[in-house]
Amino acid sequence: MKKLLVILMLLIAWASASEVYFDSRFTLWKDATILIWSLDGNSPVNAPEFCLSLRRNNSGIGDPKCRELGEWERDSIAMRYGSWLSNNLEKGLSSYYLRARHPGMAAKIQALEDNIVLFLAPQGKNIQVAVFDETAQEPKAAGVVKANTDKIALSDDIASTFFDKRTKRRLTKEERLKQQTEPDDLYKEVPNLKAWAGFGIGYSQAHFPLTPDNWTSSHTRSRVRNYRITKDSVSLWNFIDDADPFFSLYAGLTWHGFIGVEFMYRYSNRDMKTDNADTVYQELDHWNFGQHDIGLNVLFSLTYPINPWLSITPLAFLGFQYTFYNEDIDHKSDVKTPSRAYQHRVKFEDVYKGALLGVGGQFVFKKHYGVDLRIGLSSRGRDLYEAPSPDAGAAATTIGRFTLDCFVSLGFEYHWTL
Amino acid sequence: MMFKKSILSIGFAICMLVGCADSYHWTASHPSYSKAPYGGIAVTGLENAFVITRSSWFAKRLEIDKDSIQIKGTLHCRNTFEAEMRKSYGNLLVLPDSVNANSPEESLKLDERIFIKGHIPEQGVSLKDSAGNVPPVILILHEFIIGTDLKRENFFDYALIHNESGGIRKPDNVSAIFSYTLWDNLKQRPLFSAVDEIQQPITTYKLNNLTNLIQIAVQKIHKNLYAGVSK
Repeated sequence: MKKLLVILMLLIAWASASEVYFDSRFTLWKDATILIWSLDGNSPVNAPEFCLSLRRNNSGIGDPKCRELGEWERDSIAMRYGSWLSNNLEKGLSSYYLRARHPGMAAKIQALEDNIVLFLAPQGKNIQVAVFDETAQEPKAAGVVKANTDKIALSDDIASTFFDKRTKRRLTKEERLKQQTEPDDLYKEVPNLKAWAGFGIGYSQAHFPLTPDNWTSSHTRSRVRNYRITKDSVSLWNFIDDADPFFSLYAGLTWHGFIGVEFMYRYSNRDMKTDNADTVYQELDHWNFGQHDIGLNVLFSLTYPINPWLSITPLAFLGFQYTFYNEDIDHKSDVKTPSRAYQHRVKFEDVYKGALLGVGGQFVFKKHYGVDLRIGLSSRGRDLYEAPSPDAGAAATTIGRFTLDCFVSLGFEYHWTL
Repeated sequence: MMFKKSILSIGFAICMLVGCADSYHWTASHPSYSKAPYGGIAVTGLENAFVITRSSWFAKRLEIDKDSIQIKGTLHCRNTFEAEMRKSYGNLLVLPDSVNANSPEESLKLDERIFIKGHIPEQGVSLKDSAGNVPPVILILHEFIIGTDLKRENFFDYALIHNESGGIRKPDNVSAIFSYTLWDNLKQRPLFSAVDEIQQPITTYKLNNLTNLIQIAVQKIHKNLYAGVSK
């Protein structure tokens, strides 16, 4: 049992021999120049050997150059910071607490250009390791590796722990200068006015997904008998098909990336739900309605630039619409005179008024080409605020007093700024 | 009604998430601050930290000549501070300001908007007393401002420091605002930093009230050094 424990502890000791405290993924250049900084000028690794270790452990490193950083080893400011760093490098401390405060030291680090400084300091049975580059006043990566008198094995250990990552091609002087002065791709001012126009296809149905079927089934299952009779005439879905694709055209504007308006037109073709058991329809060739929706939405949106060629604009919209139905009916050509019921079939209102509500997102590629996804609700109904008429009780029931459906649509847009 | 309530609570939640609630962090602890100093401590900064604003107001009440209120008043504060520190820490070492005066003045971040300004020793250089000993922990008193009706955010929130108080009115409180850092002299890092504020209601103001103000301040520092230990 004891033996096992000893073996286990040895294993743990071996596993924790090299440990990375933090690594913020510094840029490792191809053909990198590694400057080895040790406090006493007595480096635990040999510079040329370390280069060979790098090449052994990282096939992408190319032809690295390594040398000891004598100018820092002889400098009192760097010396003080180095000994401080060695004193403070602990597990659990983030790089923020290891920042070089002295302006002279900060200047030295900033002047590194694309060289990488590898700080090595012996600490008992370990060697402390910290990696600096020009981008931060604090170590980009730090940790410990197990001390080893075999300098080659130690180099291999450091190289495999801290330099085992993808490399990037080193930039030339001109490229560096260009990169420093080129504008930020993601920097974008919100345009005062952004416009788009597009077309889309969609699908609408009365039944809301994930809700009980019986909310709408009384309307959707209903059939029209004798050209005009249904169980209930509140919803238009008692008469015509609710689940149909639609085609849409729309154009909109957004002010300051936040609030916008959108004009839209939708067309769908709705078949009449005639009861097949009813023999009166034998004379009928076809009976359907073209549904035209014209609406105006108010949009609220925010644009997030994801990368230079894509921005995503989540949006919510609220609007109203007018719906017109255009009847298309004909009896079979061999029927000379259609039946009386055909002559006195159901009549829809001239216009229905309704609301639109929903959310969506515009995915704009290359600043101009947008794909738009939306889901929402739309309603159609009669104006509730009609003047009461004295013979209201005797009046015929309004067909389609309240009709509700949900929709999903996919649009293709062109965007431009004004 | 329920709907309204839930809207309100969602509003609050959003508010907290985006941080429009105006709350400050007045203390900052180093992750390695595991043990508050006990028994022994060194302190520095006492010679120049104390400042008395509204000198004539204090001169009249403390019966000190207006010309010498800064010198005599702050000396009194300094002596009281030292004496009170000695009560909390039996082994108190007072380092002259000169040990730290050469360090450049830097700012130390406590919060997104709160920065302490003061002399902070260099990394890699330990402060030594006159005998050449290295005290392990040092309390650096950066600033100790005494005045009437002062608020610490007006001194330390960079967005508010240019605010000027409106006309002179009868003060309600004597205030002390003090910033300090507990310095790990062996590893040269700030273990704990804080800005504290004390409001002392005014009835009649005499020298012993000022003594009492300093005593409360020292007790508060003592308490905060314990409370600031990182868990």
